Amino acid sequence: MKIAFELNGSPVSVDAPADISLLQLLRDHLHLTGTKEGCGVGECGACSVLLDGRLVNSCLTLAPQAGGRHVTTIEGIRGPGGGPDDLQEAFIDYGAVQCGFCTPGMVLAGEALLAAHPRPTRRQIREAIAGNLCRCTGYQQIVDAIEATASKRSEAKIHG
Amino acid sequence: MERFTYVRAQDVQQAVALLNEPGLRSRVLAGGTDLMLLARQDRHLCDRVVDISLIPELHRIAREDGLVTIGAAASFSEVLESPIVRDTAPVLSEACAQVGAVQVRNMGTIGGNVANAAACADSLPALVCLDAAARVQTPAGSQEWPVSELVLRPNRTQIPDGGLLLSFSYRVPHPEARSVFLKLGRRNAMAISRLTVAALGHLDGQGRIAEARLVPGAATPQIRRFTAVEDMLVGQQPDAGLWQEAGRLAASEMVRISGRRWSSEYKEPALAALVARALSTVFASTTSLQGADR
Amino acid sequence: MDEFTYVGKPATRVDALEKVLGTAKYASDLRLPGMLYARCLRSLLPHARIARVDVRPALAVPGVLAAITSDDFVDYGRFGFPVADMYMLAHERVRYVGDAIAAVAAETAEALEAGLAALLVELEPLPPIFDPEEALVPGAFVVGERPWDAPDTPRGNLLVAYKVRGGDPDALLATSEVKVERDYTTMHQEHAYIETEGALAMPWPDGTGVTVYASCQSPYLNRDNLCRVLGLDPANVRAIQPQVGGAFGGKDDQMYQTSAQVAKLALLTGRPVRMTFSREESIIFSYKRDAMRMHIQLGADRSGKLRASKIRAVVDSGAYAAITPFTAWRSSIHAMGPYRYDACHVDTDVAYTNNGYAGAFRGFGNTEVCAGIEQAMDDMAEVLGMDPIDLRLANCLRPGDVTPHGQRLGDDVALADCLKQVRRDSDWDRKRAEYSRERAAASAPAAGQFRRGIGAAAVFHGMSLGAEGADFALCNIVVNDDCSLSLASGLTDYGTGSRTVFTLIAAETLGLRPGRIHMPRPDTDIPVNSGPTVASRATVLGGNAVRVAAGRLDSLLTRAAADLFGCEPVQVLRQGELYVGPSEEPAPFEDVATHARRLGYQLSAQGRWSAPENHWSFESGSGKPYFAYHFGAQVAEVLVDTGTGKIDVTGIWAAHNTGKVIFPQGAVGQLCGGIALGLGYALMERVDFDKGYIQATNFDEYLIPTALDVPEIVARFVEKPFKDGPFGAKNIGEPGMVPAAPAILNAVFHATGQRINHLPATLERMLLGHDLRPEGSSRMCKLGLQATAQMA
Repeated sequence: MKIAFELNGSPVSVDAPADISLLQLLRDHLHLTGTKEGCGVGECGACSVLLDGRLVNSCLTLAPQAGGRHVTTIEGIRGPGGGPDDLQEAFIDYGAVQCGFCTPGMVLAGEALLAAHPRPTRRQIREAIAGNLCRCTGYQQIVDAIEATASKRSEAKIHG
Repeated sequence: MERFTYVRAQDVQQAVALLNEPGLRSRVLAGGTDLMLLARQDRHLCDRVVDISLIPELHRIAREDGLVTIGAAASFSEVLESPIVRDTAPVLSEACAQVGAVQVRNMGTIGGNVANAAACADSLPALVCLDAAARVQTPAGSQEWPVSELVLRPNRTQIPDGGLLLSFSYRVPHPEARSVFLKLGRRNAMAISRLTVAALGHLDGQGRIAEARLVPGAATPQIRRFTAVEDMLVGQQPDAGLWQEAGRLAASEMVRISGRRWSSEYKEPALAALVARALSTVFASTTSLQGADR
Repeated sequence: MDEFTYVGKPATRVDALEKVLGTAKYASDLRLPGMLYARCLRSLLPHARIARVDVRPALAVPGVLAAITSDDFVDYGRFGFPVADMYMLAHERVRYVGDAIAAVAAETAEALEAGLAALLVELEPLPPIFDPEEALVPGAFVVGERPWDAPDTPRGNLLVAYKVRGGDPDALLATSEVKVERDYTTMHQEHAYIETEGALAMPWPDGTGVTVYASCQSPYLNRDNLCRVLGLDPANVRAIQPQVGGAFGGKDDQMYQTSAQVAKLALLTGRPVRMTFSREESIIFSYKRDAMRMHIQLGADRSGKLRASKIRAVVDSGAYAAITPFTAWRSSIHAMGPYRYDACHVDTDVAYTNNGYAGAFRGFGNTEVCAGIEQAMDDMAEVLGMDPIDLRLANCLRPGDVTPHGQRLGDDVALADCLKQVRRDSDWDRKRAEYSRERAAASAPAAGQFRRGIGAAAVFHGMSLGAEGADFALCNIVVNDDCSLSLASGLTDYGTGSRTVFTLIAAETLGLRPGRIHMPRPDTDIPVNSGPTVASRATVLGGNAVRVAAGRLDSLLTRAAADLFGCEPVQVLRQGELYVGPSEEPAPFEDVATHARRLGYQLSAQGRWSAPENHWSFESGSGKPYFAYHFGAQVAEVLVDTGTGKIDVTGIWAAHNTGKVIFPQGAVGQLCGGIALGLGYALMERVDFDKGYIQATNFDEYLIPTALDVPEIVARFVEKPFKDGPFGAKNIGEPGMVPAAPAILNAVFHATGQRINHLPATLERMLLGHDLRPEGSSRMCKLGLQATAQMA
């Protein structure tokens, strides 16, 4: 069936089976490999995308459910110049990246959190990324990166 | 070859018609968090899914004349973010807040949670604690059941084939009522509930227990208020010893209802502890330490 | 004093950008036109004779282009080091649930499924064994390798046995004033890298060879195995490592199988072939950390001086040897902990069973024994009425000490400093007293009471391969025409950060910005084979090779600069990237490089570094097993819900003797990540085999810690320089994990008085004192493998 939606700000239309997941649609039909499969059962969060701004597991979302809606993947997270945005920069600067496989999902979880809660506590950050498993970092520096970004954005608001 | 087709319903009427179309095995698709897992294991799950997740009336949360109504397609996030639910039924907000993690809460729906009726479903004890009723629509019309009777046992409800859960409603509890939802899992997020306890109550003018509602979850085949424990509590003065006794009684009730199982040796003492803690939180003037404060 | 420009300074991971942008490519992200999909048919029986495999019905399915068995490989695809008891596809017998029997390549997922279902396989069940001690009973059915390769090694299911011998502990234990004798048990652990395994093979257009992109730690070993089983020369096989989504030791042996399977299918079909794995298949077929039972005896004086230790361990190696002969050897070397003893004996027996199979996993045998010995030390402290850190300080190895193996240590030992550091950082003494008081004051555990506890553990971890074999690394470095540099190491980076470490070492040695230096993807066409990337050897072995290569290149450049300035090389100074001569006129690197080429210099160098000599006598059980050791200490704080048995870790303080830290952010990340792994090992990770069937096949039931389970971690490094390390560096990768689990379990003991000597400390073990589980079944394995072949 035809599945049409807005992907990272641009309209797309794909002809795909109705019974595949949004994850499969993104990776196999649209060839966007930034969103990863870690478990296929919605436990690890490596497949996280934003659906109408809400963080969801794309492996548990049926592809046609995206029809007519807004999907944001890691490929859509960019700074003004097309490079990394401030959160992605913070991930780099604070050592929040090791093997990188959980990173796209983590970045999206961070973006979703900061859009809703501009000044989260470390506890709130941990709650926001609790559905994203990381085996490399022990989460510490990921929390640091999100916290630092929140701080910088708040300061920019005050002074900017 | 597609295992099933997809159709999106614009309103309830259309949804019910689609679900009851003869010659096709149609299933409700709400959040997808349960359906996608079932489809992963069973390639012959159904012929068609009917997406009801975007029907506006199924997301409506409203308070009218002392009755709160929650649309069945409201996600756990929508429920826990609702000021109406937070003000009238913290037990339900807390239950929704402890489901999985943020991704699952954004997609999973309260209706899906009830319809799937997993033994450990977190919304069930909270809804039963609120004496919530569920409204179901079929081609013949709409029917209402208490949630405690709608869900017969794990993975089995009274929702008729082709029926669509529309909403849940509960009477706003006593203005002085306090409620709590405790969840025990093997880790602090994305955890299958080992045991849960939903509790609600208030004291009378003399400081005695005027009302007590107690619903353990993941403990018995059917989710029910433990009236034997509630009856024991009403009229009593809050007291640490009372909570211990209530806990022990709840544990023995659980075994009486379910029979002794492989897990009983663990669940008896653990349930007793959780019940005591829940009651202490609901009725005490200060909240007890519920876990690691970071 | 700040002598370094890049080493030890804030630096960013060299490949972090592509990872945050989502453009980094892992094996399952790779696709080529005409690519075929491959999958294996895997055994659903734990032990069986393969009576018949007929691939012809599969080949008849439209869309299926090839199907292979062990017959399609040289010598049936036999491989394995140090014991060659594995096959690229099972030969004659399947020995665990998940053992691959045949592999099929097809054009679509549907054709692949149909092809697998069409395979005709007949298995005749053989008696399986699931208990390693049962496996070692004389006369037990042999489930291991048959016939045994080495004629003078014991037969039956004993894979290997190791011993450490120092003095006579029996006599000393008999006369010890204080004794502890306990059993400690650890379970198998799943690596749970977030990226499952994957490999893509590309046949060469001229038909002479094949390239394999594999999510594999050690591409050179992969290449060598491929050559052997495919019957090709090294010039005709190329292995490249794409980005790898975590490995932790788990992506070697089985990746050689996956690589060989796709390579053979690619060569047969002339098409690219890719095999990737669902999480269920990955958990079922991949190797695990071994399970171990330890019987530990410790004897000490009443004053707290340790006298003797005697440890007997039985290791469940599962169906194949894989790397277990090495992990078990490391286990025996480390089983007694980093302490001085007058006498110490260790005996480790490794058994074949049909419980999956065991292989390398971060810690490599030390994780298991540290969980035992550090709990035993804690039990000893309890019996002595002594503070656990004081007990360790009184007995820990110090510079110049002789280890129980008979090795005299150098002056790079800083374990006491680590213990003191975590003692200070965690506010140990105050908390120890306060939580003890709380426990004493409370009435018999009233339901719903929360108890706090704080515990410690120490670790020593022999660096690199030890006396396991040849230990060296190679590195190439070259200045490109555009004045960027290409740096190639035989040791790889699968998230560990070694690429950044190597880049910083090269930058520091050459006085050039790290941004100039690029490392290509590890590629066996670059002749820098350095053995496996394991054993936390990258920083020292790989780093030293980089230092040597960069040093050679630096000499060349300095000579060229001297010629440019008309002075002696020793007169050439550096100011940042600038070369400065006696006339003080600076020359940029580009000018020096250009001049060097004009002089006819080859601006490339190779570096080789070999580890200092080790030696181990298997007969006498003594020697110098490792050229140096890493030391560390951790303290964990817990909050235990005595009503439900739930354990929460509320804090971890770690101090590790890492020598000079090259890449600070990376070191912190490795330490925190290791601690999280240890936390999972202690509290929630369990691989249960029930009659050979894994019970938890996905992350809903195999639980690893989330961000809400891991506390804030205070990570510190004691940077006592190590003379043999690059810029004084040691390592951190594995040892960061090792003490975490016992520190947590010791904290639990402090909080509750209950010793949980069987990992993991589940709700039931904490509350009831024993485990509680429903009956197991084969259901999840059958679902996970969805093998629908007709099996008689």
